[in-house]
Amino acid sequence: MQENKLKEYDALVIGAGIAGGETALNLANVGNKVLLIDKDLTVGGKMIMLSKVFPTLDCSACITTPKVSEIARHQNITVLTSTEASDIIQKDDGTFEALITTQPRYVVVEDCTGCQLCEDACPVNVDDQYQYGLVGRKAAFIPFSIASPRAAAIDIENCTLCGACERACPTDCIDFTQTVEKYTIKCKTVVVATGFQLFDPTLIPRYGFGRFKNVITSMQMERQLAPTRPFNTVLRPSDGKMPDNIAYVLCTGSRDKTVGTPICSQVCCMYSTKQAQLLMGALPMADITLYYLHIRAFGKGFNEFYAQAQSMGVEYVKGKVAKITEKEDGNLILRYEDINTGKVTETEHDMVVLSVGILPNEGITQLFTNRKLELDPFNYVSQANPLESPAMTSIEGVFVAGVASAPMDIPDSILSGGAASSEAANYIRHIAKKTVEV
Amino acid sequence: MVKVKIMGVGNKKTVLIMKEKRQVPQAVKDNLKFFVRTKKEILKALKDKKKTVPDLSEELNMPKDKVLYFLMSLLKYGFVEVDGIDDMDEYFYYKLKDNG
Ligand SMILES: Cc1cc2nc3c(=O)[nH]c(=O)nc-3n(C[C@H](O)[C@H](O)[C@H](O)COP(=O)(O)OP(=O)(O)OC[C@H]3O[C@@H](n4cnc5c(N)ncnc54)[C@H](O)[C@@H]3O)c2cc1C
Ligand code: SF4
Ligand code: SF4
Repeated sequence: MQENKLKEYDALVIGAGIAGGETALNLANVGNKVLLIDKDLTVGGKMIMLSKVFPTLDCSACITTPKVSEIARHQNITVLTSTEASDIIQKDDGTFEALITTQPRYVVVEDCTGCQLCEDACPVNVDDQYQYGLVGRKAAFIPFSIASPRAAAIDIENCTLCGACERACPTDCIDFTQTVEKYTIKCKTVVVATGFQLFDPTLIPRYGFGRFKNVITSMQMERQLAPTRPFNTVLRPSDGKMPDNIAYVLCTGSRDKTVGTPICSQVCCMYSTKQAQLLMGALPMADITLYYLHIRAFGKGFNEFYAQAQSMGVEYVKGKVAKITEKEDGNLILRYEDINTGKVTETEHDMVVLSVGILPNEGITQLFTNRKLELDPFNYVSQANPLESPAMTSIEGVFVAGVASAPMDIPDSILSGGAASSEAANYIRHIAKKTVEV
Repeated sequence: MVKVKIMGVGNKKTVLIMKEKRQVPQAVKDNLKFFVRTKKEILKALKDKKKTVPDLSEELNMPKDKVLYFLMSLLKYGFVEVDGIDDMDEYFYYKLKDNG
């Protein structure tokens, strides 16, 4: 079924992570009508998945949840999940048209109470992408407890079409007749806030990720430390043992030309330092060692945060990890060059966390048709005038917010969203004035 | 648009319309079978006595990482719960959840 609705908004914000969310809220608070879209089933981006945040150790969910519900309730913001934009055209008057495509969720979100009865009824178990594969989920599922909207979705690829969810649903909101919806919208400005993807550590086979069960990514550890964790506490995926000697390999897929990411990911030193502190709390008997090349603790409060980790007993070893091998009991041997002594050393740990870097999302430029969205040499959206107008891109009227423009942490993503919203609001005013003059 | 909807809980059957459009892949059917079997085996093994992941692995002849994955899924779905940790503070015990 294809519906043709031509809707008008002041702003289209692509990506509803913390940067896009902040941009949408600021624009909406000064009276602009905003369409905020995300390709995922929930808004909140990566931040909503984090445990706590450096350097304050505030609970990430506690900061994200009020913001996310403010976005959901705001009368000037329309939120569409499972939704992408394409074929964006800039008109001669400086406004835009975009094709909006929403994938079916097979659940009428407005009617879903989040009761989870469909989940209980569904017989299927598949990897839970929101727990980075550490545990299963049903084919009828609510992404996670603080998802927004907190509504079920049907994973049609893994559904056996048994109908149990539909029979169990007390509000009759499961609807397998839903199809892809496509329609064109008009807007005065576009903000790109598409964030990042994580480096895939299988690209460094010598670290054994994917082969050695106890080598996990920092995002998997982030989930293990979150209140909505996959296991009952922090456990080794190979056998459920509580680890007591954990190693971190920093700069996995950052500052490494051989894997195509020569730049620093900006957040790995600090999130690893954060996780190490949280692990000291969760596993008081555990030894935590961070293998690093340089510790980059340049932000406000970061150096103190680093010192705090050291004073808690987190060990920092300046060493380049060459190779990881697995023992029969699942323990891991790290072979590394100790940079201070020049000696090649081996140490044993019972779990290894790869502090994976961040990469730009691909395919952003293809969203635009008659204008070219320029990228920088590292494939982030290029900032046309970073000093005077940090959110400006190569297209007049298109702005960039958050990690879509460069690796950055949450406070900087929020600042960046602030810059994008004020520049976009100015552009909306400028367009409105032009329309009145004409 | 056809809407097969008979009001009242459990009577809505839009899945029938999807069934006309879509074939369930064999891999999805196999995955379901495997999960149903594994779930039964784990729950049966926990019936009389609390057990650790290595205990279950030995008894069910299943790799420990697989046992953990399914056990944690069953914990999430409310079938099992934690019941203490072993003397070495290494492995937790899991038991069937008393669902009243
Ligand atoms: C393991 C880890 C731990 C971290 N810990 C901390 C911490 O403690 N403190 C801190 O300050 N920072 C931390 N960070 C960094 C933090 O996650 C980022 O700074 C922040 O999430 C960036 O927000 P964003 O909105 O720019 O991007 P994202 O969170 O990536 O959001 C982008 C959104 O856009 C959507 N999207 C992408 N492409 C499209 C498209 N084409 N169409 C529609 N939607 C799209 C995505 O689905 C996503 O929801 C951590 C990062 C990692 C990896
Ligand atoms: S119809 Fe699909 S989603 Fe619904 S219960 Fe059956 S397998 Fe699960
Ligand atoms: S789809 Fe129905 S059964 Fe599932 S959570 Fe929503 S209201 Fe409950």
